Amino acid sequence: MGENQKIPKILVFSTEKISDPAIDLAGLLKKHYPPTVYVVNVPCSSSVKPKWILHAFKKGFDGVFIAADGSDCQYSETCTFNTGEIVRKTHDLMKKKGIEPSRLKMAAICSVCSDPFVKQMKSFIEALI
Amino acid sequence: MAYNYSNINDYDVLVIGGGIAGIEAALNLAYQGYKVILVEKDLSIGGKMIHLSKVFPTLDCAACITTPKVSETARHPNIKIYTYSEIKDIEKLGERYFTATLVQKPRYVTDACTGCQLCEEKCPVVVEDEYQWGLVGRKAAYIPFSIANPRIAAIDIENCTFCGLCEKVCAAGAIDFTQEEKRSTIVVKSIIIATGFNLFQSERLSYYGAGKFKNLLTSMQMERQLVPTRPYNNVLRPKDGKVPDRIAYVLCVGSRDKSLGNPICSQVCCMYSIKQAQLLMGALPMADVTIYYIDIRAFGKGFDEFYKQGVGMGVNFVKGKIANISEKENGDLILRYEDIDSGVLKEATHDLVVLSVGILTNPDFEKLFKTTPLLKDDYGYVRQVSELLSPSKTSIDGVFVAGTASGPMDIPDSILSAGAASTEASVYMKGGAS
Amino acid sequence: MRCRIGVYVCMCGSNISDYVDVEKVREIAAENPCVVLAKTTMFACSDSTQKEIIEDIKVNELNAIVIASCSPKLHLFTFRNVAERAGLNPYNYVQVNIREQCSWAHSDNPKFATLKAIQLVKAGIDKAKNSVSLEPIMIKAEHSALVIGAGITGMKAALALANTGTKVTLIEKEHYVGGRIAQWNRLFPHNDPAEKLVKTLYEEIIINDNIYLYTGAELISKSGSVGNFIVKIKIKPRYFKSGYLIEQCIEKAIESCPVEFDDPFNYGLTKIKAIQQNHIGQFPYYPVIDMSKCTKCGICTDICADIDLEQKEEELELNIGAILIATGAESYQPPSGEFGYGVIPGVITLQMFRRLIDLNGEKLIYNHKQIKRIAYIYCVGSRQYDGENQYCSRYCCTAAVHTSLIVKEKFPEIVNIHLTRGVRTYGKQEILYNKSNLQKDIYLQFDDTPPEISEENGMINIKVVDILTVKKTIELDIDLVVLVTSMVPRKNKELENILKLPIGRDKFYNEVHPKLKPVETMIDGVFIGGNCQAPMNISESVKSSLSAVSKMNALIGKGEIQLEPSLATIDKSICVWCDECTKICPSDAIIKTEYNGKPVAEINEANCKGCGMCLPVCPTNAIQLIGYSDVEIESMIDALASYSPEFTI
Ligand SMILES: Cc1cc2nc3c(=O)[nH]c(=O)nc-3n(C[C@H](O)[C@H](O)[C@H](O)COP(=O)(O)OP(=O)(O)OC[C@H]3O[C@@H](n4cnc5c(N)ncnc54)[C@H](O)[C@@H]3O)c2cc1C
Ligand code: SF4
Ligand code: SF4
Repeated sequence: MGENQKIPKILVFSTEKISDPAIDLAGLLKKHYPPTVYVVNVPCSSSVKPKWILHAFKKGFDGVFIAADGSDCQYSETCTFNTGEIVRKTHDLMKKKGIEPSRLKMAAICSVCSDPFVKQMKSFIEALI
Repeated sequence: MAYNYSNINDYDVLVIGGGIAGIEAALNLAYQGYKVILVEKDLSIGGKMIHLSKVFPTLDCAACITTPKVSETARHPNIKIYTYSEIKDIEKLGERYFTATLVQKPRYVTDACTGCQLCEEKCPVVVEDEYQWGLVGRKAAYIPFSIANPRIAAIDIENCTFCGLCEKVCAAGAIDFTQEEKRSTIVVKSIIIATGFNLFQSERLSYYGAGKFKNLLTSMQMERQLVPTRPYNNVLRPKDGKVPDRIAYVLCVGSRDKSLGNPICSQVCCMYSIKQAQLLMGALPMADVTIYYIDIRAFGKGFDEFYKQGVGMGVNFVKGKIANISEKENGDLILRYEDIDSGVLKEATHDLVVLSVGILTNPDFEKLFKTTPLLKDDYGYVRQVSELLSPSKTSIDGVFVAGTASGPMDIPDSILSAGAASTEASVYMKGGAS
Repeated sequence: MRCRIGVYVCMCGSNISDYVDVEKVREIAAENPCVVLAKTTMFACSDSTQKEIIEDIKVNELNAIVIASCSPKLHLFTFRNVAERAGLNPYNYVQVNIREQCSWAHSDNPKFATLKAIQLVKAGIDKAKNSVSLEPIMIKAEHSALVIGAGITGMKAALALANTGTKVTLIEKEHYVGGRIAQWNRLFPHNDPAEKLVKTLYEEIIINDNIYLYTGAELISKSGSVGNFIVKIKIKPRYFKSGYLIEQCIEKAIESCPVEFDDPFNYGLTKIKAIQQNHIGQFPYYPVIDMSKCTKCGICTDICADIDLEQKEEELELNIGAILIATGAESYQPPSGEFGYGVIPGVITLQMFRRLIDLNGEKLIYNHKQIKRIAYIYCVGSRQYDGENQYCSRYCCTAAVHTSLIVKEKFPEIVNIHLTRGVRTYGKQEILYNKSNLQKDIYLQFDDTPPEISEENGMINIKVVDILTVKKTIELDIDLVVLVTSMVPRKNKELENILKLPIGRDKFYNEVHPKLKPVETMIDGVFIGGNCQAPMNISESVKSSLSAVSKMNALIGKGEIQLEPSLATIDKSICVWCDECTKICPSDAIIKTEYNGKPVAEINEANCKGCGMCLPVCPTNAIQLIGYSDVEIESMIDALASYSPEFTI
């Protein structure tokens, strides 16, 4: 690891009612994670367009993380499946464009999952370095 | 003295006390379309809660929850707030109305004040700041505290030397020494008592040396040391400004003690002490925090989990009642107690001791009524005449009680109690028996 | 595009400014050509700053504002309201979270926190540039409520709703209202008789024109949304026809019924028949046949002509504005063997013990033995070390202490021995604890080592490590062990599925926030009151349900509700009607219509929840979610991606 090596940048799609509170909680409890993690809110993790993810890679993000609602989703029980489909579809598109699929990750983050969130971010950054 | 009486009768409900309970009750009623007059004796609404650091068991910051509610109340078209005002002489007027006298005390600063604090800067008088529980000083011309609502200065006329500097410096011309007490008669249909609680005065316990020993704080003073707008930028020992590293909490101070006339448990001190201990461990990672307790009453939703979290963080819990406290030359304090675990009398030295003072009734409500008094219970709180079915009903039809005016309780319980009071007042005003 | 933007960077006392160089953030924001004004502020949420922002908007004719402060969860509405008061559309306000997701998250590294804050604010400014003005959607609201559960909490709420002008349908799953409160007979703290309490409420309910009470009734489906729920209710028959002749024959019918089993109300201390009358404290005063036990032998029909064993279930459909759940909790049922329960005969639960006290006369007899020494074991099913009930059940210490007072009053010679984990008679309940001490009850306390229970020759032996006497192991000979059992969430899967109720870590229904929204759930229009939210006593349950009433009245009392306008929209010109969106929409909000002669999809606004699930499935990208449009999201990504060179390891 060089002295002036850039820290990879991660874009997180987080949901307002489920994962956002967890990310807020991580802050509240001063559980630190790398500052190059940026969060954009959406109402539900099943609403993320593959187009946005590809846009993020094009603009220079090293990784994209979808904080999925999983079984906590307020809108539908099919959410886990739907979000999975988005990831699958996007992985295909990424392969076509020559982007390493491991740069897009998804994991369920519940509204009090501040620890898992921090762990996810740390290990994702590690993996991207 | 002849008062200039005016009449106010545009309101349905009078809420007395602008703490979290009074605010919540006022908002509930306002959102249902009732016109509310909210009377607070202090310079700002917000009660005790607005001064707290973070609140158990979720550890969200007290100001972050209070300030939105406070400003929601302040701007609600159905609510009129009178701060620095008091109510007197409540009387029934016929079957379904009450009259009362509203006394507006002069703050010697008009609404033109922009809260710029220039007067505060210039004022030469320094006195103890009651909003920081005496930890620091304030001026005689002052804004009560940074998130006060309304954020308007006031002149502490008792300590003012009438030097006139504030008047000169105020660009808005808001200083007005000619202000006088104003009285009005108000007519309402229902009344909610939300006058809150008083804290136990620990000076009453000579064997703890409160008021004598400098490094002995009350829990309310510790709250102020832990808020972001704290007087010092860190938690410090008052005696020498050193950062403490052996902090002790003494629980049940003034509570569960018949000899003090307060046999009941204060319901919040166990939890707020555990909260403060956790915050201290965050602020001073090197410090040891010990809590001396009789029983830990972590009973509410998420409370026992919060207690375990404290244990997990390394807070020391010692079961034992503190018999007395003495001071060493360097300001450290020696606690003498019977250690239940070992059954022997022990001593422990700490460099900062916090007394977790209990909650007592605020007997103000007894003075509000002119002819028929509002009855109190055995511990001096507003009597709940039907505790199980109509928990906010009092001895006077149409008068309801919210929050700690009816007994010790925490914020979530105060909010629910205020919800009950507003519903019962609404039922009453609709003509129902409630 | 909006290009007269005001930016406020909040210090939050010092919560933000201790770690983020707010002045730096402000400076950089001010450089943006569309930013007309950029300020720092001590508390953006304070009333004086709110006033200042309003002035700024008016004086500078701002057309969008950005506030970088705490999480939008706390102040989104506060600041939207500020915008509104200044005459600015609230949706032209953008909140940037630089506290929870920046200053606090990166308090270990103020330099990076500042850099991140700068980028977050940049992105916020871009979002504000692209923001559109939206008007709230008004929907009609039924001025009526459904209350589920007719225990004390539900009944009291129903009455309060009805007496403030709301029409109420109150449904109870059992055939009788009052829950099982009557089992307790006398209630702490003032020994109120439970039966009288229930009776008072029941009698008020049946004469109230605004309340429709259905017993044996369950919710079977719910559709629609806040203000306009359509609910279906299934009502079980009682198997009695008209009713007025029943009194003359019912006793005889019960006598002749051949099916007899343990009465659950009395925990098997007495028997009950398949055809049964209510217990004292249960209402209505009207019999019912328990069809799960009835063999349809027909004996009773010969005695009472009013009995009709072929009665069918009925269904009812209702339009409802809001729903209150007051389904209460259950008592913990110890597994066989826990403290000897189910294995040693003299080990019973507190609930059963209370029935035993009531059913006994001068002496307390259990299992043909006179009881002289009772041990109460506290926290059974609560505060578990390994089990899943981590929580304290709040009511049980007081309930056990209160029981010991009743015992002493009725059977003065009995010795009460309490094995606690620290008595939690909080508040005024402490007085009961004092009384119990005065009557010379014995209190021992255990910690991580639970007491051991064994039996020999009909005598129960308890070994307990007592932390009040220097962890001495104390042995006790006991006649009866009373397990002070916890309150556990009621098993109600069906209801939870129908209403999609959010469930908390402790498995009770979850409120949105314990202080800001304690009786609201994440589902708009669905409220919770009493024990279904958390363990609490009667007075506390009533307070919580009355709080819910006040929120419900505020919501539906005016006949209309304002809704968030962030819904999906479909560009019909590019829709190819592939039907993908209708398949994925969980809210049934997409309908087929025609556009220029071709079939296309359209959003039904009343149903759309704005979840956005339809967005990624559209092959032609015809769907945009208002507030989350491609322009808004992508411009934010652009701003966040712009690399700041200082971010190095
Ligand atoms: C040190 C400490 C820490 C705490 N920490 C927590 C915590 O972390 N979490 C938690 O849930 N709870 C906590 N609490 C408890 C919490 O403070 C109370 O539950 C809550 O403040 C009660 O609100 P209230 O409105 O009933 O009373 P108050 O806050 O006392 O409000 C009463 C208001 O009425 C006004 N008033 C009084 N008399 C009159 C009159 N005659 N006319 C007009 N106005 C009048 C008063 O000025 C005051 O503004 C803590 C308490 C203490 C002491
Ligand atoms: S809450 Fe705890 S500290 Fe306070 S009086 Fe009760 S037992 Fe004592
Ligand atoms: S109330 Fe008492 S018995 Fe019940 S769980 Fe809490 S501590 Fe245990």
